[in-house]
Amino acid sequence: MSEKGEELYNKIKDKLVELQSENSAYAQFNEIWKMACAIKYKSYDLRYLYEDTSREFVDEYREHLIKMKKDFVENIDEYVDKCIKRMESTNHFRVYLAKTNQEAQRIFMEELGDNKVIYKSKSLEAKDAGIMDTLKKNNITIKETDLGDVFCQLLEYDYPSFTLGPGIQFTPEEIVAKIKEKYGVEVEPEAEAIVNYFRNTYRKELLKDVKVSLTSANAISAQDGSIVLVENEGNISIITRATEKHIVVAGIQRIVPSVFDALLCAKIQERIINVDGAYISFISSPSNTSDVQGHRVFGMYGAKEVVIILVDDWRMKAVKENLFYKDMLKCIGCKSCDLVCTASRAFGNIYASKYGIGAINIVRDYIHNGIEAAVADGLFLCTGCENCTNWCPTGVDLAEMIRELKRIAVDKDLCPPPLKEYKEKILKDKNPFK
Amino acid sequence: MNKIIFLGCLSSTKYKDTCENAIKVIKFLDNEYQELENPPCCGALAHQIAPIEEIRDHIKLVNNWFKDNDVKKLITICAGCYNYLTRYYPKHLGTDFNIKVMHLLQFINRPENLKKLNLKYPGKKLKIYYHDACHLRNAEIPIIDEPRNIINSIEGNIVLGEMENNSLNSLCCGAGGGVYSIFRESSDFSSKLIFDQMRMPKALLTACPFCYTSLIRIREENNIKTPVIKFEDFILNIMEGVDPISV
Repeated sequence: MSEKGEELYNKIKDKLVELQSENSAYAQFNEIWKMACAIKYKSYDLRYLYEDTSREFVDEYREHLIKMKKDFVENIDEYVDKCIKRMESTNHFRVYLAKTNQEAQRIFMEELGDNKVIYKSKSLEAKDAGIMDTLKKNNITIKETDLGDVFCQLLEYDYPSFTLGPGIQFTPEEIVAKIKEKYGVEVEPEAEAIVNYFRNTYRKELLKDVKVSLTSANAISAQDGSIVLVENEGNISIITRATEKHIVVAGIQRIVPSVFDALLCAKIQERIINVDGAYISFISSPSNTSDVQGHRVFGMYGAKEVVIILVDDWRMKAVKENLFYKDMLKCIGCKSCDLVCTASRAFGNIYASKYGIGAINIVRDYIHNGIEAAVADGLFLCTGCENCTNWCPTGVDLAEMIRELKRIAVDKDLCPPPLKEYKEKILKDKNPFK
Repeated sequence: MNKIIFLGCLSSTKYKDTCENAIKVIKFLDNEYQELENPPCCGALAHQIAPIEEIRDHIKLVNNWFKDNDVKKLITICAGCYNYLTRYYPKHLGTDFNIKVMHLLQFINRPENLKKLNLKYPGKKLKIYYHDACHLRNAEIPIIDEPRNIINSIEGNIVLGEMENNSLNSLCCGAGGGVYSIFRESSDFSSKLIFDQMRMPKALLTACPFCYTSLIRIREENNIKTPVIKFEDFILNIMEGVDPISV
């Protein structure tokens, strides 16, 4: 193994030692995460909420979803063109197709103009495109609105976390202590009291002060150019309406052929992550009215402008050059793969990248930052159980992508020696155990 | 037509008694099945890390070994071999791979074989659990019902318990993909979780030598009483009227 490989291997080993120490950030996250995903994994049977299990719900539409995503990848140019045309001609969106992440960052800064504050939902796609890093570099104040992300910001948490519940690792005591320290307000260390505190303070700010807001899109319908957003808190509803300018940053893989497909993607995500009572928004135009003698005016009560930054970067290239990670384009971000992952359950935010926990974010890190980054994310913790591939509703072969990353790591001499020895024994001696 | 027993490299190297037991069960059901000398490793572990070209070469070499021995039907007792031979051999070799591959569980579960085995357990109540190995439940043709059906076919007071995570939702032992050789912490956590999900078990059955390796280590290190029994050992003991959970 190369010196670099050894360094990365030892870093993971060190993190695993830290995991054993009760107060470490890894142990704290893992404590709640392993419970959450074990419960989730066994309780895909959510019959107490619905008439069918999540698995049955997914199975009913899986064939359609796989076919739909395959069709999208095969005809990606056509769908992107169609989608942009619809958005511009029918929906009155201002649309950009950024060829690279850098271009997306530049466009975003231009759209931001003189504004120094941005309110955002999770917006994972913006993180993927490096926009969050650009905002930080330019000293733009980033205001998270998802409560979990608000906690992460408040507690200055910079470890990878579960993107759908980014604050689950904090205890109520930790949260209220920080509120007291930062705002001088005493709040009971209970969930209801904490939520009430933010409802009574932050909600008012959101309804009053937002000039520019940022969201991603859970799906975008090429048929009519609608943006689909799923949420449970209502933060997306507020910041996409009570704003002057709503900027959407999304990779082109978020585009799906039809309105039905977009709704289906939203519902699948809602069911898998069990966001019961969620809001699903279809945004097909900036806020407008024609009530003054049929004269259409934009910017009634909702957003005056809706700006869409579609990001290509690695995506078209992956299709055209048939790159091994082109299956990433089929991902709808439902997180099934995280919830059923053996390595994720055991190692939580050690098996993770800066984009979030789990294998899919390790592939993402490889795409943006190369193989050493993927190895540092714990690539070799994968047991090859193939649960991810087996449970994926859209047919992403994540297990194969991870295997390919391992092969690349071996080629770069970043593979831990015992594993390499197995390989050589199999291929030379035809038995690794002799 | 050549029918072979493909034991897999881990079992044939480390679990020789189990191999003998499996051979006895298979031969009792169909005497035409035979074990060939020096079988090559199927390559499942290398598949995790070796370049595709090297994997293809290895698969071709194994397939040529099958061809040289005129193999038409194969029974394996290894979950890894089963998954790999049924999913990846056809993928890499296409129609050049012409072997009917079965796992021992599928073979035993055939109605005529269950009838011939006529398994009876005369002892007192025995509550056992079966752990679904990833390479069986996630395989191209998943093996989930077969072991349960076999256990339920045994006449006598055997109760099959189910863990909270079972069948398709089963927990991985944490030892696959070569992780066992580099990060034992993986099976420390995952295999322990499997034991924790059993309620008053008398034994834990497994049909995968990799899971077995991990589970017995965790059992020993944590002083867990519940024995871990390989499926073929369990079946042969029942056939021979011996305590099926003796280790």
